[in-house]
Order: sequence, then C-alpha cells, then structure tokens
Amino acid sequence: MGNDDYALVRSVLAGDKDAYGSLVARHSQSVFRVAFRITEDEADADEIVQEAFLRGYRNLEGFDARSNFRTWIYRIAMNCALDVLNKRKNQMVVPIAEDYDGEQATVQLADRAAGPDRLLLSQEIQARRYAAMEKLTATERVAFVMRHMEDRSTEEIAGALGIAPNSAKQAVFRAVQKLRQSLAPLWVKS
Amino acid sequence: MKHLTEEEMIEHYYSEDLYKADAEIHLQACKQCSQSYAELGKLLGSVRAPEPPARSSDYGDQVWRSIQGALQPYPAKQKRSFFQWPQLAYAAACLLFLAGAFLAGRMWEHAHTKPSLASNPQQTKERVVLFVLDNHLDRSERLLVQLNHAGAEGEQVDLPLRGEAQQLLTDNRLYRQSVDRSNDPLLTAALDHLERVLLEVANSPEELSAADIARIEQEMNTQGLLFQIRVLRTKVSEQKQDAQAISKGVTL
Repeated sequence: MGNDDYALVRSVLAGDKDAYGSLVARHSQSVFRVAFRITEDEADADEIVQEAFLRGYRNLEGFDARSNFRTWIYRIAMNCALDVLNKRKNQMVVPIAEDYDGEQATVQLADRAAGPDRLLLSQEIQARRYAAMEKLTATERVAFVMRHMEDRSTEEIAGALGIAPNSAKQAVFRAVQKLRQSLAPLWVKS
Repeated sequence: MKHLTEEEMIEHYYSEDLYKADAEIHLQACKQCSQSYAELGKLLGSVRAPEPPARSSDYGDQVWRSIQGALQPYPAKQKRSFFQWPQLAYAAACLLFLAGAFLAGRMWEHAHTKPSLASNPQQTKERVVLFVLDNHLDRSERLLVQLNHAGAEGEQVDLPLRGEAQQLLTDNRLYRQSVDRSNDPLLTAALDHLERVLLEVANSPEELSAADIARIEQEMNTQGLLFQIRVLRTKVSEQKQDAQAISKGVTL
C-alpha cells in the first residue's frame, strides 16, 4: 500500500492530476473518521477531509519518500481540525445554562438515575462528555482524541501537532483533568 | 510511602510510564492510590469515541470531485538525461582541469629536482654505501665509547670487545678501500685511524688491563678518533637524508 501510494504521488508530480483521485479515494474514509472524532460534527469533518486533501495536493512536493502517505495526510488533517476547532471557539457563544455546574449536575443526575434504566445515565455521561470536550482547547482536544480514541503515542501526537513530546503529554494531562472535573461528580452520585 | 501523582496515573493508564512495574507494585500495595486509579480508569473508560456516521462507498470519489476543480496539474517534468549539453560540458571541463593540474604537478616536480642527482646507477650505489657506512660508524662509535669507559673506570676488560673489533676490522678494510676511490680525505684518514685502533684491540691479549687500555688510548688517541667518528656520522647521516629525499622526488 505504501509503495503504491508513493507511485501515485510520483505520477501526480509528473503531471497526472487524476492519480491524486486514487489517493483521495483510498484514504478519505479514515481521514473522515478521525476528523469526526475530533470535531463530533459531520459537516466539520467533511470540511476537514476536503481541506486536508487540498492542502496535501498543494504541498505534495514536500512529501518525503520515506514517509507514509496515510500518516502524512493525517498530520495535515490534524492541523485542519485545529483550525476548525479554533474557528468554532471564536464563533461559539456558550449559554450560561450549559456551563458546568456541579450542583445542577448532581440534581439532574439524581433525578434521572432514580429510574432503573442505565441508558439514561450513559446518555447523561455522553452529554456531559460532549460539553466537557467543548471546553478543551483545540490542542488539548486533538491530543486527547488521538491518545484516547486513536491510540496514538505521545511522539505521534507531537509530530502531528508540530509540538514537543512533553507539550503533547501535558496537553493530554490537562484534557484528562478537565474531563475529570466535569465528569467525576456523575460517578460519585451514581 | 510516596503516592502516585495524577500525571503518573494518567501515564500508567495509557501505558506510557517509564517505570510501569514500579507503579503496578505501588498500586497493589497502596489502597489510596489504587482507589484513585480505579476512579480514573472508570472515568476514562466511560469516555468512548463517538461513532462516525457511515459514509457511502463512493465517498472518496465525492471528495475528489469536490476538490479536483481547484487543483492545477503539476508541470510534467522533462526526462533527465545525463548526456545533455550542460552536464557533458561541465564533466569535460572538470576532467580537463584535473588532467591539467596533474601534468602541472609533474612538471613542477621535475623542474625542482636536481637532474644530476636523479636515479643513475652510480647514485644508487652511493646511497647503499652511505647506509652501510653509517651502520659501521655507529658500531665503531659504540666500541670506542665502551673502551674509553672501561679505561676511565680502571676495570679489567673481558672482551666481547675483542670479537666485535675483529668483525669491525674486516668491514673497515673494505670500506676504507672503497672510500679511497671517492676522494674524501677526511673519511679516508678517519677509517685509517680506526683500522689501527681496531687492529690493536683485536690482537690484544685475552684480558686487557687498565694500563693496556690507557696505553691504547694514549697511543692511538681514541678520544680524538671518537670525536672524528661522531663528526663523520653526522655528515654521513645528512648525506643519507639528502639521498633519500632525492630518491622520493625521483620516484614521484
């Protein structure tokens, strides 16, 4: 697969634009999956996929033959995701009621957990998780998703985000701490 | 007991801690840390990756169609041939320059090498003579030093000197005859003087007394001979070095 990818890259650079279509077809599903996990928004994920492949094409001359195209395009997608998240942060107006309130969460959970259906608890957790994820900075969010959901190592995260490994590790720590603060009360009460 | 920090627990959870075994042992031993770690695990375990909505099998084609209009094809690269004019001219110029530099070097060497000292058979023979003569003078010098030293200390001399003097005497005769033809009066005189001393020592009785040695030293002026030999050795060594330098220059 890797060699095939490189052959396609060479074809593109030799003037065969359509060869890039094969690379897009081959990798767009997996790029979409990661983009969605980071943004949790279908439209944003689609936008990231398109933007990543566009940027990839324009920077194809900088592609190192020793690299893996999939890893390389992932890295570009991470950066696109960071841009989308930052843009979203700037545009977002957080309703006061959605901001985390420990007391309120406890009360809400107490009400819902009173029923026998654990599904409600799970839904509550996911809703809280979503809200907590929205509070993370773009870097923390991408780092956490890659570490926790994509099972990427600290070095891979650092490489994708263009930061030092220790910074990547700290970003994951901060994300976990913030999630803990948001979600822990639910577990205590449940 | 030092408890695990939150960061250490998170690292341990993601199996990125350097001292995994130590953390494991501590968690088994420490109830407090074990409980915190269990809570962390429960919390992180509940954070599941959102399931991405399915995309159709032609999703890749859709993405391609949406972006391909914005892409300009890369200019087709010309096939590179090594035998193109600029490369060929460059390579030829390099070769010409190297050849010129080599020839200039050779000519310079020839111009700065004394032609009279170039490798003719006579010069080669002289170099060999200088080499063996230097060796002979060295051995003679050592013998004279030993002789003078024994005389100064007033010892009885048992004679490894005698055997050495006999060997040197034979060689010395050959060198003296050879040097006679070379018009070097200083060397001829010194070898002649040396021969007499060697003859005296070689024919001395089994044991030389201090008085015998003193007599030889006085009659033969061995101190003066030793000085002569040292001067000659220096001269011969210099000639030998010159000959070696010329030899190297010629072989280049």
